[in-house]
Amino acid sequence: MSASGFRRIAAAAFVVSVFTILEVSAGPAEIAQIKPRQDKLRDMGGALKAINDEIKKGRLDWDNTILPNAQTIKDRSVYLLNWFPKGSGPETGKKTYALPAIWQKNDDFQKLGKAAQAEAVKLNEIALKKDEAGLKAQVLATGKACKACHDSYRSPDYEKENEE
Amino acid sequence: MQAALADTADLRVWDLPVRLMHWSLAIGIGVCWWSGVNNELEYHTYSGYAVLWIVLMRLYWGLVGSSTARFVNFVRGPKAILDYATTLHRRDTPHSHGHNALGAVSIVAMLGLVLAVVVMGLLAVDVDGLYSGPLSSYVTFKQGRHIAHLHYKWFNILLWVIGLHLAAVAFYFLYKRQNLVGPMISGKRQRQGDAGEAEMKVAPLWRFVIGAVIAAAIVWAVSIGFYF
Repeated sequence: MSASGFRRIAAAAFVVSVFTILEVSAGPAEIAQIKPRQDKLRDMGGALKAINDEIKKGRLDWDNTILPNAQTIKDRSVYLLNWFPKGSGPETGKKTYALPAIWQKNDDFQKLGKAAQAEAVKLNEIALKKDEAGLKAQVLATGKACKACHDSYRSPDYEKENEE
Repeated sequence: MQAALADTADLRVWDLPVRLMHWSLAIGIGVCWWSGVNNELEYHTYSGYAVLWIVLMRLYWGLVGSSTARFVNFVRGPKAILDYATTLHRRDTPHSHGHNALGAVSIVAMLGLVLAVVVMGLLAVDVDGLYSGPLSSYVTFKQGRHIAHLHYKWFNILLWVIGLHLAAVAFYFLYKRQNLVGPMISGKRQRQGDAGEAEMKVAPLWRFVIGAVIAAAIVWAVSIGFYF
């Protein structure tokens, strides 16, 4: 094989491999994560708001509001860290608040995610016990665990249009 | 003796409540801006309450305050605004006593925008559903999130109007050689030539105190979402 022929093959192999890497990093599977993950996270935020609203109103409806919403947060949080596969960030070209730092500092991201899971479990326990005294503090702790991750790994509201 | 002094002494133009409200509003908006951008939502809520109280007080003082604070004395119609605007390029125009007709537009715009942004903040929901506005229990999560984005957008408009306000102050200082900042600190400005200029009619301080208590009660009721 001539040198130029080899070079051509090498170049073609390089191009193919680049495309393959791009394909792996932002494939349809990763893109498909974005919308459902937004929906599920929004459910969790809405659930915490619903519990907070009960506290604001000063009358706690445990069975109809607090318990089901605490359950939603706990159930969803179990899968939290599965929703952010590598390649499902802004490189997809889709509108997402997820920042590249999620994958650059993935250890820290995972740590914060697990901390949020632990708080969600505690919140659910308090809801099951109908522990009025502990509820407010645990709602705060859970919300702060959500916020800790959002502060570092999510674009601020004002940098993006409203999510729909 | 007193009359003779009055002829040479500085003219009072802004009373103490107006000056305090002006500077505390500037600081309050600054704190809101900083805490909002940095997602320090606990501080953001409290500074928002402070701004709400100040705006309520300014509206109240615009009805019963000293003469230069009252809306009836400085809010003008389109003709007066245009007439004033056509003299803007001239350097020899006399000092307006209190707000001029054009400045009044910016005052009303700023107060209105601050109030609008605060009201949106009361209804806004943060992404965590944690530090939401005190009235957010009256809207859904999705509505509240939408309002949070509007809250930000309208604040941006407010920043532009504040920028215009600062540019106008700089314009008066550099072009018209009129210092507007000094009187907002001292409350006084120099008399111009003849002593025929009208003195500010000062409102009694007890009237301010009554308003302060009522405004504080309103802010408190809002802060607990009217769930008494």
